[in-house]
Amino acid sequence: MPRRKSQKKETCRSVAESFQEYGRGVAGGLMFSLPLLYTMEVWWAGFSAHPWRLAAYVVATFVLLLGYNRFAGLRHDASMTEVAIDSVEELGLGFIIAALALFLLGRITFEMPANEIAGQIVIEAMTVAIGVSVGTAQLGGGKEDEGIEGSGRGAKGQPGIHFGGQMLLAFCGATLFASNVAPTEEIVVIAVESSWLRLVGLAFVSLLLGSLILHYSEFTGARELVSADGLSTVVVGSIITYAVALCAAALILWFFGRFDGVSLYTSLAQVIVLGVAATLGASAGRLLLQ
Amino acid sequence: MSKPEKNWVEWAVFAIGLVLVVSALSYLVYDGATMGSDPPSLEVRLGTPEQRAHNFIVPVTVTNHGDETAEGITIEVSMENTGGGEPARGELTIAFLPRRATREGFVTFQQDPRTAAQLTARVLGYGKP
Repeated sequence: MPRRKSQKKETCRSVAESFQEYGRGVAGGLMFSLPLLYTMEVWWAGFSAHPWRLAAYVVATFVLLLGYNRFAGLRHDASMTEVAIDSVEELGLGFIIAALALFLLGRITFEMPANEIAGQIVIEAMTVAIGVSVGTAQLGGGKEDEGIEGSGRGAKGQPGIHFGGQMLLAFCGATLFASNVAPTEEIVVIAVESSWLRLVGLAFVSLLLGSLILHYSEFTGARELVSADGLSTVVVGSIITYAVALCAAALILWFFGRFDGVSLYTSLAQVIVLGVAATLGASAGRLLLQ
Repeated sequence: MSKPEKNWVEWAVFAIGLVLVVSALSYLVYDGATMGSDPPSLEVRLGTPEQRAHNFIVPVTVTNHGDETAEGITIEVSMENTGGGEPARGELTIAFLPRRATREGFVTFQQDPRTAAQLTARVLGYGKP
């Protein structure tokens, strides 16, 4: 193990720096997941969902983290092993933070059966883990990797995050945003009560928001990352982002059991309603989560 | 890139993370494999009635022995008086009862349940989440 002997600054971070980084991760984890830690529907989904569905959720989150850490993490020169190690660390922190938070909020007690405790921790830990990952990468000054990355957000240091990577980031962003509202009853209520005209309106607004964020609003990174030449590029880019957002929305809704026993129309309506949040996340993900 | 450069704190966090992730996944897989698919099956038990300042309370314990969560459970406790006549009723609603979980509550009565001829509890109904 590279302990004392590799204490040289350029190869290994000091213990203090590591703690700083974990501190950022913990703060970020809580910031991004607080809405979900305080949502009843998420607790209920935690103990109502089949254990295998929860296991699938853990695996899916791990894959998302791999993608995020690979394309948006602090260290762009990181090998796949390091990315995997980082992702496992983030999941672990997620579990610990979620367990502590749920305990303090009185959601888990020692009298509960193991499956109820485990279910709630697992479901909350996944969002916390994504938050930890984003927090570690976004909230930091990037001090320890200054030499490699430069001072900025790293947009220059990574001349071409290729298309697949961008879509993965869009998917991460969409998941992060959409999962904040996906488990609530409100999505179902809006979906059931909306006329088809409203739904079309929502879809249109989503597309508009997507192109606005990606192409017109001068968000940080928009220049470097999205080539905005020509109307067709704008349209195609927005549509692809929207498609990714809809996929993410559908996946999350499926996970929370929102498609169980409802008609295809209601399912689709829910996807579109959630798609607004997911599009915001997807567009932001392509730019901000860098 | 060969071996990742990490200090002991990072290795420790990684080790803890790995243990947590692996144990959580194995628990979930094991739990999913061993659990059946029985619908909720609820058992209601009544505790010893007690006297309070303004009424009498009867502790109610309900346990879900099934493999699915029950939602919006309504429990009714009825008390038959020794003198006959209309039985007094108490009701209790529990929002969620996960599988294998137990929840506690109370129903209240104006007359003393300790002197009643019979105290019976039953689950009126519940939904699927």
